[in-house]
Amino acid sequence: MTSKMLRPIILNVVTWTLVLMISFPLFWMIVTSLKPQTELFRIPPTWLPETVTFEHYWRLLTETPFLRFFRNSVVLATSTTVFVVALGTLGAYSLVRFRFRGRETMAMLVLFTYLLPSVVLIIPLYLMMVWLGISNTLFSLILAHTTFALPYALWLLRSFMEGIPDDLENAALVDGASRLGAFKDVILPQLLPGIISTALFTFILSWNEYLYALVLVNSESVAPLTTGVMTMLISAFNIEWSLLMAASVMMSVPLIIVFAFLQSYLTSGFGAGGVKG
Amino acid sequence: MTTIATDPPRNGPSPLERSYARLGVLLIAPTIVVFSAVIVYPLLAAIYLSVFSIYTPTLEGEFVGADNYVKMLTGGVFWSSLWTTLIWTVGTLSLQIIFGVGLALLLHQNIWFRSLARSLVLFPYFLSTVVAVLVWRWLFNDLYGALNHGMMQAGIIDMPLDWLGSMPNAMIGVILVGAWKYFPFVVIAVLARLQTIPENLYEAARIDGAGPVARFIDVTLPQLKSVLTVIILLRAIWDFKEFDLIFLLTGGGPVTSTQTLSLLVYQEAFGLNRMGQAAAYSVGMMLVMLVFMILYIRRTGKES
Repeated sequence: MTSKMLRPIILNVVTWTLVLMISFPLFWMIVTSLKPQTELFRIPPTWLPETVTFEHYWRLLTETPFLRFFRNSVVLATSTTVFVVALGTLGAYSLVRFRFRGRETMAMLVLFTYLLPSVVLIIPLYLMMVWLGISNTLFSLILAHTTFALPYALWLLRSFMEGIPDDLENAALVDGASRLGAFKDVILPQLLPGIISTALFTFILSWNEYLYALVLVNSESVAPLTTGVMTMLISAFNIEWSLLMAASVMMSVPLIIVFAFLQSYLTSGFGAGGVKG
Repeated sequence: MTTIATDPPRNGPSPLERSYARLGVLLIAPTIVVFSAVIVYPLLAAIYLSVFSIYTPTLEGEFVGADNYVKMLTGGVFWSSLWTTLIWTVGTLSLQIIFGVGLALLLHQNIWFRSLARSLVLFPYFLSTVVAVLVWRWLFNDLYGALNHGMMQAGIIDMPLDWLGSMPNAMIGVILVGAWKYFPFVVIAVLARLQTIPENLYEAARIDGAGPVARFIDVTLPQLKSVLTVIILLRAIWDFKEFDLIFLLTGGGPVTSTQTLSLLVYQEAFGLNRMGQAAAYSVGMMLVMLVFMILYIRRTGKES
């Protein structure tokens, strides 16, 4: 009897201990960002802040180029997402619902590039951007982000598209709709959750990307958050950890919003993204 | 009857099918153009560049034939980086699988605030690598880091450890952060599969008198086998090519102890300014990965 009562309690305690250990770095990030500088270097550290301050956030927004980095990242991730999802939706529709030569090859190529390491492409892309005279611009980064975002989006959208029954489209065609009409009126509404999921994934991928930004952009005016915040770490004489943790929290804000309101779209993307085994 | 008789013998597709095929090609054309420009062309260019010797700042160079490849195969750098990459991949992947499957099993149970627990576990995976690295470098800090102090307070160590500046700690540190960042992928994929295992399989095992461990081995594991194969292949590929996390945590150091192949390519191209040699390394790296990629592609092709 007692063992029956005890089992769920032990299970909960074990699980939650692990979950809290996993979340500890995130908790510590927030705690550090709220501690005054003097409290930061106390040995041993205070596990909860004795005084809570928002001075680091204030300094981050007023005294550092953080807001410019943030704006660059918003432009970069949004443009990449719109571009890639628009191309990907048409491409996925074609790959799933049409029969033409080279279709299978194309699908395999998409999967192959989905797995390709960025460092293979980075050297030629760097040369290409220099040659085109667009290195050090946000546009060059949008193009570069397409290299990983497009295969990803295509693959995800393809799986979502496969989940829409053929009958729906066929019924519309029998009723006299054209292929594109059926696409707009039947497929697109059905695909919408998939499109949202893909868009979120693409946005997060682009928001978090570091290597291309490191190689293709070296001026502070076009740097996105990833490289911009890292230069704040490297260029400082004594590293201001509270400031960096405040930057980390601010950088994760879009993610926190997605997590709070749209998490089901993220998990549904997982089922579609090649791990359906 | 008459319609059948008058129908011409059908050779190939009908006009409607042909026009559909044209539309299909038209719809995918923009994708193909972008694909060729930003992926296929650079991929071929990387192979082309690998037979030149190019000085990065001026981008001038000359044809050197297979020299870069000879250097790659005979010099020790490529092989030691490959070895480092394998240690990192095997180390972090094993931890990801163990913790991923373990937590998926726990989170599959009926625990308090299950969806909150799932969100918290999921979060590191979507977090920017830059953020993850900043937080972990602060945790690893030898003087003020929470990790050292936590471990000292718990009595695990007496003296603060130098986490990222010495070996083997640096490799352990990188593997740990990699596991923390990427194990949620395994959790989500396994959790999704666990939900589809029919409950009556467990019922039957229970009637046969199987305990929890036996049920796991005889019912759960066989059901997870196929999804685990896919996860391991996919994560092996992604861990093998990981750049951001290792580069930002250690920069490949101390010296070159954590310099994986991705870091080697970057260092050669933009640190040592030998772009041709770097291209050769990247082609070599891709050839090593190709084995896993083909395995994964064949597997996925079989399913669809």
